[in-house]
Amino acid sequence: MNGQITIHAEGLTKHYGDFPALVGLDLDVHAGEIFGFLGPNGAGKTTTIRTLMDEIRPTSGRASIVGLDTHADSVEIRRHLGYVPGDLALYPNLTGRDTLTYFANLRGGVDWDFVDQLAQRLDADLSRKVGDLSSGNRQKVGLIQAFMNRPQVLIMDEPSVGLDPLMQREFQDMVREVAKEGRTVFLSSHTLSEVEHVADRVGIIREGRLIAVEAVSDLRAKAIRRVDLQFEDVVEAAVFEELPGVREVSVEDHHVSLSFDGHMDTLLKAVAGRHTLLDITTQEADLEEIFLTYYRGTEMTG
Amino acid sequence: MYASVLTKTVRDRWLGMTIGVGVLVAYMLMAMAVYRDIDFSIYGEMPDYVLNLMGVPKDADIATLAYGVMYGFTGSLTLAGLALSMGGASISGEEKDGTIGLLLANPKSRTEVLVAKAGAMVALVTLGSLVLWVASLATPAMLGIDIGESHVEAVVLHVTINTLFYGFMALAVGAWTGRRALASGVTMAVMISGYFAVGLLPLIDGLADLAKLFPWYWLDGGDPLVNGVQWWHLGLLATGTAALFTAAVVGVNHRDLRSQETSVSLLDRLRAHPLTRQIGERLAGSARVSHISVKTASEHQGVLVVSAASMFSMLGLLMGPLYKAMESSMAQFADVLPEAMMAYFGGGDFTSPEGFYQIETFGLMAPIAVMVVTIVVGAKAMAGEEVRRTMGLLLANPIPRSRVVLEKALTMVAFAVIVGVSTFAGVAGGSLIAGLGISMADIAATCLLVTLLGLVFGALALALSAACGSVKVANYATIGAAFTLHLLNGLLPLNDDLAGWARWSPFHYYLSSDPLKNGMHWGHATVLAGLVVVLVAMAVGLFDRRDLRQRD
Repeated sequence: MNGQITIHAEGLTKHYGDFPALVGLDLDVHAGEIFGFLGPNGAGKTTTIRTLMDEIRPTSGRASIVGLDTHADSVEIRRHLGYVPGDLALYPNLTGRDTLTYFANLRGGVDWDFVDQLAQRLDADLSRKVGDLSSGNRQKVGLIQAFMNRPQVLIMDEPSVGLDPLMQREFQDMVREVAKEGRTVFLSSHTLSEVEHVADRVGIIREGRLIAVEAVSDLRAKAIRRVDLQFEDVVEAAVFEELPGVREVSVEDHHVSLSFDGHMDTLLKAVAGRHTLLDITTQEADLEEIFLTYYRGTEMTG
Repeated sequence: MYASVLTKTVRDRWLGMTIGVGVLVAYMLMAMAVYRDIDFSIYGEMPDYVLNLMGVPKDADIATLAYGVMYGFTGSLTLAGLALSMGGASISGEEKDGTIGLLLANPKSRTEVLVAKAGAMVALVTLGSLVLWVASLATPAMLGIDIGESHVEAVVLHVTINTLFYGFMALAVGAWTGRRALASGVTMAVMISGYFAVGLLPLIDGLADLAKLFPWYWLDGGDPLVNGVQWWHLGLLATGTAALFTAAVVGVNHRDLRSQETSVSLLDRLRAHPLTRQIGERLAGSARVSHISVKTASEHQGVLVVSAASMFSMLGLLMGPLYKAMESSMAQFADVLPEAMMAYFGGGDFTSPEGFYQIETFGLMAPIAVMVVTIVVGAKAMAGEEVRRTMGLLLANPIPRSRVVLEKALTMVAFAVIVGVSTFAGVAGGSLIAGLGISMADIAATCLLVTLLGLVFGALALALSAACGSVKVANYATIGAAFTLHLLNGLLPLNDDLAGWARWSPFHYYLSSDPLKNGMHWGHATVLAGLVVVLVAMAVGLFDRRDLRQRD
């Protein structure tokens, strides 16, 4: 993460008419880093990515990738770039292999052994027409397309949409390998759980504004969880209410349910000595809840 | 549900109908205004039967001739074309877009959805016809033209029912196959072949009655403008329409719905068969995706084949022997046809083989054939990939935007050249077979000019596609421009005061030098080629400057 800056944005702003889709984005992503770009639907994730890709041009501000200007040097940048657009669409009448051949030709060649390797890992069928594939299988073709040139920078807009859990894990492995080789991954998502397994840092965007950039480990510590605890004996709410980070405690005989945003260790240590714990389930709060809790105040200043 | 499907369909389609009807009204206005000022006194002395043949009602001003051309040809083809594109898209369009599943998730049957779609088509066609009817009465009144005993309402009724007939034919084919392109293509082929059969068969001795078997004959075979409503013909058309609708209902309920359109082409079959796999693989696979231009070409191969083949065979090869067969009757025919009417078909006269080819092949059909391919490729070039959301991915490759524009323009040029060469081969072959002795160099010159003319409008569509990212806008605006400029070129020279203005139409640089008789006019070719270059350059500049659209 101490590597050089590969994606840099300063004051990046995009208005659609009067609507500010993206406002003053400042961001640095480093070589070897996996950066997760988080935000609810319509927050400006795709606008950011499309601006980085020079699909749309910023109203003000600028951005660079591997030190090159995203507009002026966009062709050169794309030599070093793999891209999966959001809501991926491919040519329905081409097979997966035709599709990859087409893009390989536009890039001046590709290592087909590596393509086959990727296809095998993702269990992708490249012989069928893309239009006949399910959306998950179509997404695999899109992913192979982005990875196949071993790009220095990978930009992916909601890349694991449609993939089954097994494939999502495989995809995350692929992403980690890329980062391990010192290459950069920038991926967007609207769910925290999706990126927290793989990303080093996340940026949280809301209503066009980047409101926080955090290391995933910090965010995880902050993340509110719903915790349900089942005890052998009857417990009192007071035991939990005094713990730091605990909120909304409700007790029903042997069963306690609460909101918690501290280190899990604190909670466990607090109860372990006094009661016999039978069962514990924790559920991650959704991102929206984290936003509401932590960033309501920082929205305007962030 | 009925109402919402119906109104949504109307909302999606009203623009095309409005532009179509708008162009027709403008055309009528211009045509009548120009005809009014021309000395047609010669027609006063014509016997009744000749006037009848020409479709001119008794005691009517000659300006009502505009009705004839408009409803017998331009108007009826335009309206039917709009209707068949609507009909073809009814169910299969939703299948292609992948929205049919969602639509049918509502508690309504397929039949009900089909009825709502058909209802929207009927509503738009009726509305369009009403506007035309009002305009047909208002225009002569405004210009002080006496329409005499013209039965305008009868013509409009015929055109309306005729339009619905083809709309429902496309609806039925689309309902049975789920293929939108096939539905429009088949119906278009039936319509055009009917139009030609009805126009040409009567010129051949002994075959006149055969024309009555084609539905297009029921449109104005009984000359409703002169004779009033031909109930027998209307009945046939209406019965046919009802039968087609029944077929559509049966068809749409009978088959599996398609999820997305992936057609199986001949190349796909070659590719699947073990014996031909290797060659199929090359043609359909690796070769097809070798360049943006080749891939673009492969996407539009259907329209190219149809266009080039019909120019070569029907309008090229066939016309030579046809002229030979009719040579003797041509002379008398030529005497009675007004210059104004011929002007619309590109001028020329029926008495020489060159003139015949000019009227039948080069006047109207050759420009249309080239323009169909160039406008399809041009309008879809950038906007098509944006609407289908593949442009972002394409441009994620290390290629400048200008390369996308130029490669697509290259495909367009290649397509135009192929249609041009096919036309040359057909006409040259027809002339040789029939021994007409038309100069090969002159045919080549005319074909080159028509290729360039088609490219001008293709390049316009390309520039619009590059500028605005909407296939619809690029298509409609280009077709509208082509229509208007063609009319200007055809009509303005008839009036001496306005003749100079025709220079502003690209069509002027196509046939005004009479290349089929006089050979190449390099000056005109340069003007057309220059326009193409300028428009393509504009396309490059405009596309480079703007944000990509995500959807239409």
